[in-house]
Amino acid sequence: METSDKKAQPAPESRFTVSAWTLATDRWMGRVIRVGGVGVVLAVFGMLAFLIFQVFPLFTGAKVASVGVLKVPATAVAFGEDEYGDIPYVVLADGKVVFQRAKDGSTALEWVPSLGGRTVTAVRTYPRAGQVFLGLSDGAVQELRVVYRSSFDAAGKRTVEPTVTALEPMQVGRPGLPCLEVWNAKSPQARLMLVRQEVAGQPLLTAVRLTERKGLGGKAKVTQSEPFVVAADAPSVAKVLLPSTAESLLIIGKTGEVRTYADDGKGFAFLQAFVPFKDSPDAAITAAGMIFGNVSVVFTGRSGEQQIWSMYPQLQPDGKSLRRWGKIHHGERLAGPGAGIYAAEGNKCYLAVAAGELRLINMTTGSLRWQGAAPQGAITQVAFAGNYDRFTALSADGQLHRWTVVDHHPESSWSAFFGKIWYEGATEPAYTWQSSAGSDEFEAKYSLVPLFYGTVKGTIYALLFALPIALTAAVYVSQFLRPEYRQVIKPVMEIMASLPSVVLGFLAGLWLAPLVDPRLVSLFCAIGILAPAALSAGFLWSALPQRLRRQVAPGMEFLWLLPFLALCAWAAWQAGPAVEAALFTVKDSASGLPIADFREWWRQTTGETYDSRNSLVVGFVMGFAVIPIVFTIAEDALSNVPNSLISGSLALGASRWQTVWSVVVPTAISGIVSGVMIGFGRAIGETMIVVMATGNTAVMDSNPFSGMRTLSANIAVELPEAAVGHTHYRALFLGACCLFLLTFVINTLAEVLRQRLRERYKVV
Amino acid sequence: MPATMNPATSRIQVRPSAEREGRKDYISIRDYGFWYGQKKALDAISLDIPERQVVAFIGPSGCGKSTLLRNLNRMNDLVDGISHEGDITINGRSIYDPGLEVISLRRRVGMVFQKSNPFPKSIYENVVFALRVMGVRDRSILDEACETSLRKAALWDEVKDRLQDSALGLSGGQMQRLCIARAIANRPEILLMDEPCSALDPIATGKIEELIHELKEQFTIVIVTHSMQQAARVSDRTAFFYLGKQIEYDTTEKIFMNPSQAQTEAYISGRFG
Repeated sequence: METSDKKAQPAPESRFTVSAWTLATDRWMGRVIRVGGVGVVLAVFGMLAFLIFQVFPLFTGAKVASVGVLKVPATAVAFGEDEYGDIPYVVLADGKVVFQRAKDGSTALEWVPSLGGRTVTAVRTYPRAGQVFLGLSDGAVQELRVVYRSSFDAAGKRTVEPTVTALEPMQVGRPGLPCLEVWNAKSPQARLMLVRQEVAGQPLLTAVRLTERKGLGGKAKVTQSEPFVVAADAPSVAKVLLPSTAESLLIIGKTGEVRTYADDGKGFAFLQAFVPFKDSPDAAITAAGMIFGNVSVVFTGRSGEQQIWSMYPQLQPDGKSLRRWGKIHHGERLAGPGAGIYAAEGNKCYLAVAAGELRLINMTTGSLRWQGAAPQGAITQVAFAGNYDRFTALSADGQLHRWTVVDHHPESSWSAFFGKIWYEGATEPAYTWQSSAGSDEFEAKYSLVPLFYGTVKGTIYALLFALPIALTAAVYVSQFLRPEYRQVIKPVMEIMASLPSVVLGFLAGLWLAPLVDPRLVSLFCAIGILAPAALSAGFLWSALPQRLRRQVAPGMEFLWLLPFLALCAWAAWQAGPAVEAALFTVKDSASGLPIADFREWWRQTTGETYDSRNSLVVGFVMGFAVIPIVFTIAEDALSNVPNSLISGSLALGASRWQTVWSVVVPTAISGIVSGVMIGFGRAIGETMIVVMATGNTAVMDSNPFSGMRTLSANIAVELPEAAVGHTHYRALFLGACCLFLLTFVINTLAEVLRQRLRERYKVV
Repeated sequence: MPATMNPATSRIQVRPSAEREGRKDYISIRDYGFWYGQKKALDAISLDIPERQVVAFIGPSGCGKSTLLRNLNRMNDLVDGISHEGDITINGRSIYDPGLEVISLRRRVGMVFQKSNPFPKSIYENVVFALRVMGVRDRSILDEACETSLRKAALWDEVKDRLQDSALGLSGGQMQRLCIARAIANRPEILLMDEPCSALDPIATGKIEELIHELKEQFTIVIVTHSMQQAARVSDRTAFFYLGKQIEYDTTEKIFMNPSQAQTEAYISGRFG
């Protein structure tokens, strides 16, 4: 009685107040969740921003700034400078060498040659080598060596002191005739000195070879060859291009004809003649320059047109392939007739001077790195610093103009990454990825197209293998299999999804590929037999009388189907060698005997390559990585189709298969699509399997028996060896950026498609 | 015997049934028992359903009336661990005949479910679904069947202008009539209705009941219902089940006016259930 009285009493007000703790938790959890959500979005966009930040410098041009003009004697005809450009020197027409400090123009050293009655008639400097060559009035050549000696005083201050050493003059040209021009070059075997003289208005080119032998005592002994005449057949000489390796020679005639010669050990043998601007009204070549690497030459014509010629293997009429000169690019037209082409050091850029304008152009991609006004006086010589951070130009009015260059990625441009580029030495334009080689003169090739191709190829092979299996398995497990088996298979598949891909890649590369390689035909037979075997099993089953079929509970049919399929596959595997012998017998190229070998047959019949680590192996193993994902999501979607729809369909007299096909699958289609898309994303981004199971060659080849290199594998393989901030490094980030965008676009499209399907097939 | 009429049952209006031509034992259930695993759901059911009449199964929840209904077209085959005894024949042939494909049984015995279950397809495709799975491709046959079925289901005038729209845009009552149209499109002989109005408002229910009256000219209808008023209004004969047993089976008039079993009387007067 008492207790019920207590219950009846009005409850204290506090009963309805919410505790401060509950409210605070609620508020805080709300905030935490919001922070988490925003954080995810920020992380994704931050990643994209980071990628773009890394990639952006690739698409900025060069920054060139003038750092002053140095007044030099007006008779200066050539110049050179030290590594830092602190004390440049000019060589005057009379052979005097004047060193001036760049910062105040004061003279550091004046050096006067002692020529013994002869006069200087030609001057050429090689600033990078510290060499000056003076052509003398009697056909001799005197070499000067310029050396900058750095010394540090007690306070640690660096002082640079230039010195000039004159070597003994050497008779190169015909005695008694003045040298009009002089060149020097160095092949691995010998040095070459070349002079141009004139005899009765006709050009005369004479050269000597200097072979240096180091004796045991360390003292070099120089042997000088007899002077020999070069290119005697050239009708006129407007310009001579001598590569620094001295292995070839280009003589540009006054009419615009280029005659090329190759070093044949004794002299220079005529190789080829061509007229670059033969289709122009005026074929004359106004300027030409050899690009770094000594393989390509830029020619400019009267109206500013540019052509780039390079040496590459060409098929000759007799069927042999020989390295010959051929046009590889049409440069963009310059503002006026080209007045000079000066190659940069260390990359394929060149400075083109034309109509009061300077243009810094990349030879390979044709991209204009920088454009600016030329100084007043006519430019007679331009020299780039070895690390491409400065260039200096001497103008005829006695001024030395100096510029700094900031151009970290001279070889990059949209066309370099995505376009077909004719690289020098190649026989045709191609999409090439080749980021490193043994030589400094090597031009890195960063086309992402083969990587895209490899990515798509690998993905397609993987999906071709995975999707049919995953989707039919999902339909079977969700609609036909008994629930108790389903409860086992589902978690097993999910465990399979968590298998590290490096393990799969390891299995693919080290176990599967060598296993499959010799029994390829057996494998094809075993796989090929499965579908017909399953179908014929279905027919056999439906032909059996009801009484027998009733013995097997619905959903248990697989108990006899599986052994049947296994038996068929085993028989087909065993029959493989016989099939191979019947269909793929070819003549062995080594022994000439007929052998049954599919690989050899493939090579001989299609002319394509056969690699044991090929796309099929990748597709097969990557398929294994994709199957569990697609299966799990599709199976969920199919299982979630309401039973009422299935009952409705069955009650209308539809068979189980008709129900699945016309009711269950359409209703679950949005889930199936998202499963497929997530599988697609997995295949596109898959790295380790591709790295380990293919040869990682960046080939563009639809051949199923060749390897590939995907964008992601490319990053994994090359990032460790890419220098931070280098074009290679940023190109890899560009690949990452493309991968990001690719998956972003595909996932967005998939999501749009999925939403539409969901709208269309939504269930009440 | 109006004198013994129960006050509760007197409120129920029974529509007088007209005897029609046809087999008296069109569907014949004999000593039928049914198990879900170890649990016996039906026990010793024996009843005959005459051709082209409406038979209502009533009884409290769990009495087995839906189970029996779902066994008439073997929808329970999907359930694991079922077994049965006795036999059910339709027009003299056992539904468990090994030579009888369950698919052809279901084409003969159509079904309408408690909750309307239109497919996520157009109205048109819903109606012609049964014909499509039978392999009918001829557009004119499909069109005609669609119109006829929708007219019979009293839905034609409401949807004839939007046959290609999704069936999911219909109202609840319309959806259920669509399911009826779908069930009769391939002209079954028997229509099973499992509480077809339980999710509908009174107006929609009225329409469906009208429909049942018209449909019985052509179909034998078995309807499971929780609403005794509905059973009284639409059926010619009524079976009352309790705990898996058939308590009473007779003309609707007799069951509602003068039940012979006390349990029946107690149930229809609302004392339990």
